[in-house]
Amino acid sequence: MIRVTREIHEAPTAVRERIARVGGLNRFGEPNFRVAWGGSRLGWIGGRWTDRDANGNTIRESVELRYVPKYLPLDRWHIERWTPPEKYGAPENWYAQTVETEDGIRVPALGPYPSRGEYEHCFTLEDADGEFIPLTPAACDWIVRAIEWSRRQPPAASRAAIDARESRREREWDRAADDIMDDASSAPITT
Amino acid sequence: MAQMQNAQSVALQLEKVRDKLPLLYERDDILLTMIQQRGDVERVSSRNMRLPLQIRPGGKAGLANMDGGDLGRGSGTVYDVAQVSPIFFRHAVEITKLVEYASNAPEKAVENAAKREVKNAMAQFRSFLDKVIQTNGNGVLGTISSIASNTFTMAKPPGSMLVYYNQTIQVYDPTLTTNRGSCNVTAVDPFGSTITVDSVPAGTSANDVIVHDGLTGAQPVSLFGILYHQSNATTGTWLNLNRATYPVELATPRVNGNNSALTPGSVRLAINKVRKALGSNQVNKLIAYTSLEQEHQWEQLGVTISQIIKEGAGGRASDLDLLFTGEKSMAGVPIKSSINANQSRVDFLDLSHWGRAVMQDIDFYDVGGQTVFPIYGASGGLASAYIFYFVTGFQVWNEVPRSGAYIDNLAIPSGY
Repeated sequence: MIRVTREIHEAPTAVRERIARVGGLNRFGEPNFRVAWGGSRLGWIGGRWTDRDANGNTIRESVELRYVPKYLPLDRWHIERWTPPEKYGAPENWYAQTVETEDGIRVPALGPYPSRGEYEHCFTLEDADGEFIPLTPAACDWIVRAIEWSRRQPPAASRAAIDARESRREREWDRAADDIMDDASSAPITT
Repeated sequence: MAQMQNAQSVALQLEKVRDKLPLLYERDDILLTMIQQRGDVERVSSRNMRLPLQIRPGGKAGLANMDGGDLGRGSGTVYDVAQVSPIFFRHAVEITKLVEYASNAPEKAVENAAKREVKNAMAQFRSFLDKVIQTNGNGVLGTISSIASNTFTMAKPPGSMLVYYNQTIQVYDPTLTTNRGSCNVTAVDPFGSTITVDSVPAGTSANDVIVHDGLTGAQPVSLFGILYHQSNATTGTWLNLNRATYPVELATPRVNGNNSALTPGSVRLAINKVRKALGSNQVNKLIAYTSLEQEHQWEQLGVTISQIIKEGAGGRASDLDLLFTGEKSMAGVPIKSSINANQSRVDFLDLSHWGRAVMQDIDFYDVGGQTVFPIYGASGGLASAYIFYFVTGFQVWNEVPRSGAYIDNLAIPSGY
């Protein structure tokens, strides 16, 4: 019996080239942005693994480094951005922070130090209900341009936007509450 | 009764908004509502609600020698019972008749003060409960780092974020043994992390803690909040279970931020801890619950679409919203941020494992159908004012502490 354990895909060359053109190249000549299929994008995770059956019961535990899908859901396209190695600190700090010791075994929980940087998750292509949407170059373009634009904005602008959102939420609740109260009583509550 | 009294008529009219209270109470961006919407709600009596937990696996597996070998002995699953019992909260609102008379018609005021007060009180009560749910189950809203006259400078986190103007608070010693007394908050400065009170209780000193009103005795118990359920402590109790008995099973995986800024690495470390504990594909329901400060810090890493686009782009984001959820995420986990969240933490929560044991949903306090009560003057006669209360009784539980993870001790971005 053949059992499909994980569906894998690669982004079409045309999409990859378009994203590389829009997002530019990093210091190693690799694209700043790329698209990865959830089931194809693997990463190192080390430590004590608890494997469970379909009912959640523990079937085994092991201390090891596994090369497993980095992002969930597995059946979606994910847009990643390259992050330079200096963002991960010095190698010794990386190992100091990420090495876990289980049963006397030392395991780097995130694998080896990313000396050439690492691609990090930016965006999952899903519709408003969280359902799958196909990979479209236009959507990828939009997201890449938006993230690049975001990176150039001063921190104060980002903070102001978050504050503005909170104010908007307050106003929206206030308006909704007024509607509820008006609906509850057309006459004044007290007379 | 010969004469209809004001209190009776007000009670009748407040009934009109009674069934609308839950709607006023809900707001999808506060933790309490998220738990309400995504977690279980169990109706309970005043007796403890029992949560049976399958804590440790049973059975002994291994290689067997079927040629007369010893198959060994077995073992069984370890179960235990967590327990929660609801606690009650109240919010009291007083209005004078003059306020009512001055605003009960469109030609007198733009808005009816009594109606507005119901709305404001509900917002304030909900906000109070959301602040309490950020805490450690003991009602501690902050720690005093220094005192100058009637002003407390509060240690950050949480600073003064969990306190509001005119709130009655109590001061306890750092061990939560001695209640030094209560006072009223006359000013709150969230940026300066200070609160000013009307009178400092005798004996108050640095490192004392402040708790909300109504708590009594040593080691008070309040809502079991984020800091209670998301902890890797191996001592103390958790829902009546001794943490020391199950030091691994009851501990939530933790990543120490070491007073450094949030990085993709620490986020992945935290999420991966959940994957390792529950299975590599079991993080679909996680949310990253954090403060506005850490949300801002995450934006600074440049791996997400900024809030600027959604807020200030004049509808440029609308096409994105039509196609996508538009949610910001941390390594694929949706971010839910709150002004009340701890400024130095990111909590990864699977709220499908959280719930509320509810004895009384939020409602007006009701005595024989009456929900508004007169205030009495010094003479014993009626005062020209009335009072009503919101009440609710519940407690928060989490059936799988290992279903989440957290990063703590993160540096708070400058400017906050």
